[in-house]
Amino acid sequence: MRKRLVLTVLVGLCGSVLLPIPIQAEDQAKKESEGVVRDLNEIARVASVMLDGDVCRRIMTERAIGYLSKIDPRDPWVASDNFDVYHEAYIETKKTLIRLSRLVPYACDVNLWMPVPGDSGKIQVLIRNVNEWSQFWTWGALTQETPTVMKQVLQAGRSEIVRQKPGMISVLAPVFDSLGDTVGLVEVVAFEPNAAPPQVHAHRVGGPISVAPPALE
Amino acid sequence: MRAMGGTRFGATMRKLVLAAFISFHVAGSALPADVFILPEFQRPTPFNGVVAADATPDFPGHRDTKTPYRAATARNAFVSFHLVVDLPAGGDFEVSVKITDATRELEVDLFREWFHLTESNRNYYPDALVPVSMPYKARLPDPDNRIEKQTSSAFWVDVWVPKEATPGVYRGVALLRTGHKRTTVPFEISVVEATVPEKDVVTIDHNSYGSSWLADYYGGIEVPSEQSFRVTHLYHRLFYEHRGVFHQLGYGHGGKVIAEFAPEIEGSGRTRRIKNWGLYDRHYGPLLDGSAFAGSRRGPRPIPFVYLPINPEWPASFLWWGEPGYETEFVNVVSQMEQHFRQKGWTQTRFEMFFNHKKRYKAFPWDGDETRFPEDDNYFREYRGLLRKALPPETPVKFVFRNDSSWAMERQFESLAGVVDFWVCGGSVFAWYPQAPRLLKGRGDIVWLYGGAPDVTKVSTAITENPLRVWLYGVDGWVHWQTTNPGEDPWFAFNGGAEVLAYPGERFGIRGPIPSVRLKLQRNCVQDLALLDSFKARVSIETLKAAAARQYNNSEPEAWWTPRPPLADQPPYDWTNATIDDAVTAAGQQKFNSSSWDNVRRYILQLAREEK
Repeated sequence: MRKRLVLTVLVGLCGSVLLPIPIQAEDQAKKESEGVVRDLNEIARVASVMLDGDVCRRIMTERAIGYLSKIDPRDPWVASDNFDVYHEAYIETKKTLIRLSRLVPYACDVNLWMPVPGDSGKIQVLIRNVNEWSQFWTWGALTQETPTVMKQVLQAGRSEIVRQKPGMISVLAPVFDSLGDTVGLVEVVAFEPNAAPPQVHAHRVGGPISVAPPALE
Repeated sequence: MRAMGGTRFGATMRKLVLAAFISFHVAGSALPADVFILPEFQRPTPFNGVVAADATPDFPGHRDTKTPYRAATARNAFVSFHLVVDLPAGGDFEVSVKITDATRELEVDLFREWFHLTESNRNYYPDALVPVSMPYKARLPDPDNRIEKQTSSAFWVDVWVPKEATPGVYRGVALLRTGHKRTTVPFEISVVEATVPEKDVVTIDHNSYGSSWLADYYGGIEVPSEQSFRVTHLYHRLFYEHRGVFHQLGYGHGGKVIAEFAPEIEGSGRTRRIKNWGLYDRHYGPLLDGSAFAGSRRGPRPIPFVYLPINPEWPASFLWWGEPGYETEFVNVVSQMEQHFRQKGWTQTRFEMFFNHKKRYKAFPWDGDETRFPEDDNYFREYRGLLRKALPPETPVKFVFRNDSSWAMERQFESLAGVVDFWVCGGSVFAWYPQAPRLLKGRGDIVWLYGGAPDVTKVSTAITENPLRVWLYGVDGWVHWQTTNPGEDPWFAFNGGAEVLAYPGERFGIRGPIPSVRLKLQRNCVQDLALLDSFKARVSIETLKAAAARQYNNSEPEAWWTPRPPLADQPPYDWTNATIDDAVTAAGQQKFNSSSWDNVRRYILQLAREEK
């Protein structure tokens, strides 16, 4: 009789402790996710101050800009083969992006996006980082249509939070030049604590140049 | 089965019969033979025919059940053929292949050939090879391959002739049972005394990227895990057993290393060091000590080449590029790697520092792969300097600096002399520079060429073209840039297979890769080349090359080079793929057909018979 009583009490206690666990876990995950958003917002705010929009505008070579929208019906890679940058401006900016990503103790990327000169509808990711994360980048694309949310950031000069891909959180923030104009934006991106990021891309796009050697066939 | 009886006809009559035979085959009409043998370069169709690209006027399909099909080989080699079962009325059948000699020195492997329906031309081509045990029971039409009006099943037969085999003629038989009917096709393997050398004269590399595809192809297996390592080792083993090499690049364009391709590191600046070798050693240990190949016919041997995970972001962070911290992080970690490899005794493999990134992928400011712009060469010099600082001068561990070069190879041959010692060059552009082999080999560099694998719609011998090319050029190897990607639906809507030579076996209940017809043809070509090259002690290499080119397509070795186009004298950053194509096309093309390699092999075997 006493044993049964003890057992009943134990079961009751266990139940009262165990039942809320899923709710507690959900709360915890939500809390952690909010924590990530808070962190990324803070990095985005710092990025807007730290990144030099004038330097960012000087990253691409004039020659490469000339090729960016070039279309050769016989060579689909003509723009990407001619993509080129000024090393000093690129490296200076990339190092700042890396430093910004290190403001949090977990994996985070800070990408630089710049509108395509002379083409108001298009944008390009100009500098990516080690994890290769982005809500927007079409893998391998040199330029792409500017997503609506990026247009908002560029026009309003305010940051935006984006959650498009499962588990991935991005905060977009404007990059200003010395005139106070918004010349680009950063995408500060990380995954929620329990998400499983995908493996990085290692392969080529479209194979090597002129795949076939002089054919003997 | 009824014999064609062609052996008793006169030459004219024989040609007429063969011509009729070919037209039947190519049209896919049924002939009244229910089991027959096709030479390896005559790929069968599922309709009692030969793939149109492989059909030749001297089509030697063997449907004679009285006289044996004959093939010859040296020892330490495979000899192969297709066995075709044709049952116009369909039904169950059982097939087996045996060597009937009592010696049991030769071994037979049987593979069921999968017929892929190509999207480009809606034709069927056999390529994936499913290993089967004998006797093998099946049905026509094959309910698995799902081909409307299929009358023929095909099997790839590999006969292994070990180096210990006694020279002479070995007899065998292919046996077909349909109901109570039993049909046999005899064959004879003539084994000559010569032995194919263990070491290949050309290295054929099969490249791939990352490891996440293992989960895609193998029922969502965890990557990395013991399971994924086992499958990875099976890929290495498959290519090794086909006289090839397998590469997996282990980092992304942004520099992130995939966990099992690099030791785990910790710290920053002075404190950066290797923390854990666990995953790396589980992945690479059996490959670098050769134990992954135990029990194979070629025996255990360490892999000859492997990518290192070094890239602009690993082991040193790009944050410190140009600062003392970059050198410190790089040298600390690479030194530890050298020590680890030395302590493990991994001294037979070449560890490749290789940069795969490109500016267009937006993570780094220079092209590590297929460099175009001259200023990017400076980074290569910097890394060679770092590597020198990281390695003891007398290290027995073989570190090499690999550069995959295309546009700017001619410039880089000069500007990176003494910096890069392993060149992997785009095949089409390399063909403009006949002076390159002497220049590069003369200073001790390793030279491979790269390109794509021929898709299945090409003539069967297309897979032999580049192994022969690199041997004629006097360079060291060929890289198929991607070999594990079968495309969306290789089984019923095939993209041709230019990016796959080893298929995932999962569909057939095999947790590992299965070979392809093209891989087998390539292996047989590579073993032939090893044998051919071994004769250079008594026949000059120039004579051997001239004869091989003549036998292959009646060409001269010089004709395998392309006359230098005017484009080559313009800066490479002004070239386009279109202007390269124009230059290649203007150079003209030569012809070859499905008999080309057989002609070379006959020459090799003739030399082999002359060996004492």
